[in-house]
Amino acid sequence: MAKIKTSSFVWVRRLSQAVFLLIFLYLFMLTVYHPGNETYGPLKLFFNFDPLAMLTVLLGGHAVAGAFLLSLITIVFTLVLGRWFCGWVCPFGTVHNMFIGIRIAKGKDKIKAGSYSVWQKSKYYILTLVLVCAFFGANLAGWLDPFSFLFRSLGLSVFPLVNAGFEGFFNWMYNVDPLKLSVITEPIFRILRRSFLDFSQPHYFWGMFFGVLFGVIIALNMFRARFWCRYICPLGGLLGIFGKNPTVRIKVDPEKCNGCSLCVIECQTGADPMGEGSWRPSECIFCWNCESVCPVNAITFDFKGQGGEKS
Amino acid sequence: MKNSMVKWIVNFFKGPGKSGLDLGRRRVLAAGIVGLGGGLLFKANPLSGDRSYNSELIRPPGSMEEDEFLERCLRCGECMKVCPTNVIQPSMLEGGLEGLWSPVLKMDFGYCEYKCMMCTQVCPTEAIRKMNTLEEKQQVKMGLAYVDRNRCLPWAYARPCLVCQEHCPLPEKAIYLEEVTVTKANGGKVVVKRPYVNAELCIGCGICENKCPVSDQAAIRVTSVGETRHFKNQFLTADRFSG
Repeated sequence: MAKIKTSSFVWVRRLSQAVFLLIFLYLFMLTVYHPGNETYGPLKLFFNFDPLAMLTVLLGGHAVAGAFLLSLITIVFTLVLGRWFCGWVCPFGTVHNMFIGIRIAKGKDKIKAGSYSVWQKSKYYILTLVLVCAFFGANLAGWLDPFSFLFRSLGLSVFPLVNAGFEGFFNWMYNVDPLKLSVITEPIFRILRRSFLDFSQPHYFWGMFFGVLFGVIIALNMFRARFWCRYICPLGGLLGIFGKNPTVRIKVDPEKCNGCSLCVIECQTGADPMGEGSWRPSECIFCWNCESVCPVNAITFDFKGQGGEKS
Repeated sequence: MKNSMVKWIVNFFKGPGKSGLDLGRRRVLAAGIVGLGGGLLFKANPLSGDRSYNSELIRPPGSMEEDEFLERCLRCGECMKVCPTNVIQPSMLEGGLEGLWSPVLKMDFGYCEYKCMMCTQVCPTEAIRKMNTLEEKQQVKMGLAYVDRNRCLPWAYARPCLVCQEHCPLPEKAIYLEEVTVTKANGGKVVVKRPYVNAELCIGCGICENKCPVSDQAAIRVTSVGETRHFKNQFLTADRFSG
């Protein structure tokens, strides 16, 4: 089989993911003390676009900040166009996307690992649980909300770890001074401390736990691509419900299709893109992998005004 | 156009087709019931509501009253990341299980910097109310300090010390000193200054606890009593303070 050229849609998607992940990380790094108590930059931006955060606070019976109107954009966009947010914007989704390569399924098992499983409904049940619980007075959304999860993991475990690593390395270079290299490393350390590193090593309770949890959640990509997005993420579930009848739909040419199942293998979220009837809009994150990988170009995505008849 | 809109809406709410989202009423109901049970169990937690107050549950300045706080807090860790003194920590069970990982102040790690209100600026859901001026934040009481006279150097060990009073950031000082002549172990006399906390002024920022030279368990400690966010978690009403 000839090597398949990656579709330009996939490259646009990757670019979008990279931009949003970098914005997230940039805002993360900006979340430090500033004299004058101003925040330099819209630090809450991602949370403001998070309809799960907005809904759980609203269900608790409390007014939300006006900035949460931005999450209505997410809702309307998803209602009309589908669950693009997970595939193109969500920084945690992007993190999972980067680790899809650690899948361990081989041969025929790849098809099984790529296709839909009824267990993917679990995220909707988690979502139901969280929403009902929020209504009755306990907001658990934050434990599993992807932005909360990512920020907490980065802030309370990854960043302190990186900080300690850099400090340990540069302090060792300074103290041991092999080959008089500290002449070079000390200015680098000074620049890093001024920009990237914290001025004092942060310590957090639960830091170890959050780190392990973060690692485990990422390692689950071994069993299923985007395990988190498929089975756990309550925001993904919410957007899956909003995006159950999108106007952008898959179009598979049955004449061209040779049934190779490459699209199913490459599908990140088990949306079964091998046919228009089997395709699941609530699972599809419009990553365009299926379109890209199809050796006979049987798959396209189509803008349909009135939505599909089958849903 | 109008027709297709109607069709779209009908399709959206129509029952699940083959490719639709079929969750099963019973399973959704079951998840809902678990959520309901969980929510109500959390509500029945002895720490919720006005039933009791955990002395160690010291929330960041401007935090909402506890029930509303837990209905808002996302445990995202923005306040913990932004805090310059590292005092804001993810909680263990100070606020009950439903409060797991929500922010609490641990004075052995840091203290609430008097001239900082970054945590009030970054909270995405305003579980910590956004403050506009530093003066507003400096009015908020997070708790109240008390002197442990069995550990305090001037009170218990006849050693002069006024670290807590010197660190108190309030312009009027919430810690005042009383000069007393006490007997040392060898029988000699020494003049020490014994600290007292002015409950009316103290905002519970915890710098006294953080800087106290009795390093393992400070001789002056902050508990949550007197916090602004709970009008019932007070041990004396305001008018009885002045007397």
